[in-house]
Formats: sequence, C-alpha cells, structure tokens
Amino acid sequence: MVSSRTWLQLGGGVILAALVTAAFLQGRAAEDTWTANDPVGDCGTGALGGEIGRDSGGEVLAAQNVLSATHALEPATSSWDADSEAAVRAFQAWTGLPPDGCVNTNTWVTMRALVVPVCAPEYRCQGPDQLLHWGPARESRDAWFLDADCDWASWVLPGIAQSPVASRTPYEFSREPLTELRCEG
Amino acid sequence: MTMITDYRKATRRNELVLGGAVGLVVVLAVVAVTLLITMGGEPEPPPEGAPDARELTADTCAAGLRQPAWVPEGVMRAQVACPEDISRRVGDSTSPDRLGTWIVYDLHGPANEETVPGAAPGSWPQAEVESGAIHPATTITYVAYPGSEKLSSELGGGTVEVAWMDFPEGGGDARVTRVENNGYGPVRVEWTDDGGSYLLLTVLGRTPDGRSGVGVEDLLRMAGSLAG
Repeated sequence: MVSSRTWLQLGGGVILAALVTAAFLQGRAAEDTWTANDPVGDCGTGALGGEIGRDSGGEVLAAQNVLSATHALEPATSSWDADSEAAVRAFQAWTGLPPDGCVNTNTWVTMRALVVPVCAPEYRCQGPDQLLHWGPARESRDAWFLDADCDWASWVLPGIAQSPVASRTPYEFSREPLTELRCEG
Repeated sequence: MTMITDYRKATRRNELVLGGAVGLVVVLAVVAVTLLITMGGEPEPPPEGAPDARELTADTCAAGLRQPAWVPEGVMRAQVACPEDISRRVGDSTSPDRLGTWIVYDLHGPANEETVPGAAPGSWPQAEVESGAIHPATTITYVAYPGSEKLSSELGGGTVEVAWMDFPEGGGDARVTRVENNGYGPVRVEWTDDGGSYLLLTVLGRTPDGRSGVGVEDLLRMAGSLAG
C-alpha cells in the first residue's frame, strides 16, 4: 500500500516539475516573440471571411522598422499600406521567400536573424539593445529594438517615425493596438 | 675449439637496443606533441600574398581590436562603429561599457550592390520587386564583444538550422545559424575565445545578378583568421 508520505513526495515532485517548466517557458517567451508574432499584411482571409493579416499595431510597426533598414521604407506609421507591402515583397524575394506580401512566421524568423545585440550577450544594456544595421557602409540604415523581459519593442529613429508613432519611444510588439512598453526593460 | 655464446651479454645488448628505441620514440612523440600544441595556439597567418584585412581598419578606433586577418576577395572596404558611436546613435542613452565594436565589410559585384530606388516602394515595378531585383547592399557584419564569454540567444524556428562547425584552417569552431529559405537567407556565425565573443552576419540573397553575400565556408575562414 502506498503511504501518504509517498503521495506527498510525488505531489511535491509534480509541482516542482511544473514550476521548472513554467520558468523555462517564460524565459523563452521573450526570445520567441518574433516567431510568435501574428501574421501581418496581405495574408488572405480566414474561414469566416475576415482578413488574417494584421494591418495596424505594434507588430506592423516592428515589420516597418525592419523594412526601414533593409529597403528604406518610410515613414513608419504602424499602419500597413501599399508601400509596406511592396517593401516586404522585395524583402521576401531577396531573402529567398515567396514574395506574397504576408509577414508570416518564416518572414518574421528571417527578419529576426538580421538583428544583432549591441551589448555583450551576458549583460543587459539600458534602452534599445538590439540593432539591425544594413546597407552599404557609406549610407547604412539602422533599425533599433529593445529586448525586454515581457516583450520586444520597436524603437524608431527620428525621420522614420510618423504619427501616431513617436520617435525614440519603445512600442511593444504585442497584439494590442500600438502600446508603449510597460514592463521593465 | 668450441665457441661459447654468452647469452647474458646478448640479452643485455638486445635490452639496450630496445630501451634506446623506446626512448627515441618517446622523445619524438613529446617533440611532436609540443610542436602541435605550439602551432595550434598561434593565430593562423593570412595566406601568402593576400593583404592582411586588418589594414582596412588601420586608421580607425578598431585598429587594435581582435578582428579577421583574412576576408573574401570581394571585400572592398570596411566601415567601423565603435561603442561611443553606437551610444551616440541612440542619443547617449546607452553607456559605451559592454557595447560591441562593429566592422561592416562592403562586398564587390552587382548582386551585392544596393538597388533600392529613391521612389516610394508602392511605385516599384512589381516584376522587379518579385524577382529580387530591388535589394539593399549585401555586406558582412562583424561584431566583437571584448571580454564577453557568451553567445547571443540561439534562434529557433521551423526554417532555422543551427550547427557547430570547425574553422577550415583548424583552431576552433563556431555556432552557425542559417535561416534556410530555399537555399537563401541570413547566415550568422558566432564563437568565443579567450578575448571575447564574436559574430559574423551576411545574407545569401536572391537577385537577378546571382547570389549575394558569401558562403558559410568563407565566414568560418574569417572567424578562424582572428588576430590582433
């Protein structure tokens, strides 16, 4: 017969394993944010006839910020438009993806791979700490991001940002409408 | 007359020969191992006749930085951004301490040149957009984080391939991350040594002029040529 002590040990073990798993998943959340992003842009319609791709908000701004560095897209407004779509199609064609205008998981991953930490990996810089630096040496373009505990954020340079986006302000990638980063950075 | 063989003498001579041979082998082995260790610890010299790539940054703030001594033939020039420059770009909100130093190498050839028009993207010809004809310049970005011992977080995803690969000339290995988009896509090579951690990044781009960027082998050779 199984004693109550054994049951207690078993229960404790299960709780411990659950806590470790939760901590691990939470730790992975920030770095997975890019691949967990929603589709953006021309991604077709769902079963109920609604558009699948988002056309405004933090995820749109994140894609526009990347495209501002790679394909000189400007302004970044957090609203998807014809310029954004043409720029992402050009980005997809250049990086070997089908140029379908939909920023899906494969496009997000491709964009993510271009972003490099500015600070040594074991340290956490204050402010924007991830940089996509692209283009010829003499006329390079930058897109800045912030890898925070709760989410990534876009940090758009002056000259690229246009209302309602303010420059030098961290905006969450989150699915909600454009939102300033609220967690600890 | 009877010949008497002194077996004790013969045995002693054999033992001496055997002992000498074993001693010689041991000495040779020690010398060989010592040579191998000594040569392995030295940085790989650039190939004979090839200019030392460190000359590209000779008059910059990266002059004394550990950096590739070898770069692919297509490299034309390099631009350097030091921690102070990076900090300034974000409005001095980030302290230069712990920031990496960036060297961006421009690559020669039509496939690597910037073709992004000045006009708004909405007016770009669709055929050019979808053929990969409109693309940024392809570069090789090198970032050094002196004193660092870690690599950046490993990327994940269905199209991401991560593998540890040896430098072609020996002397170490690096984590190679490829986003595999039908044979194209970004490539990252990351590694550490006693001096810090490092990253090389390029894009194998699809353009009507051919593939842009450089292959993984070239990036690994750059990584293995680190000196300074």
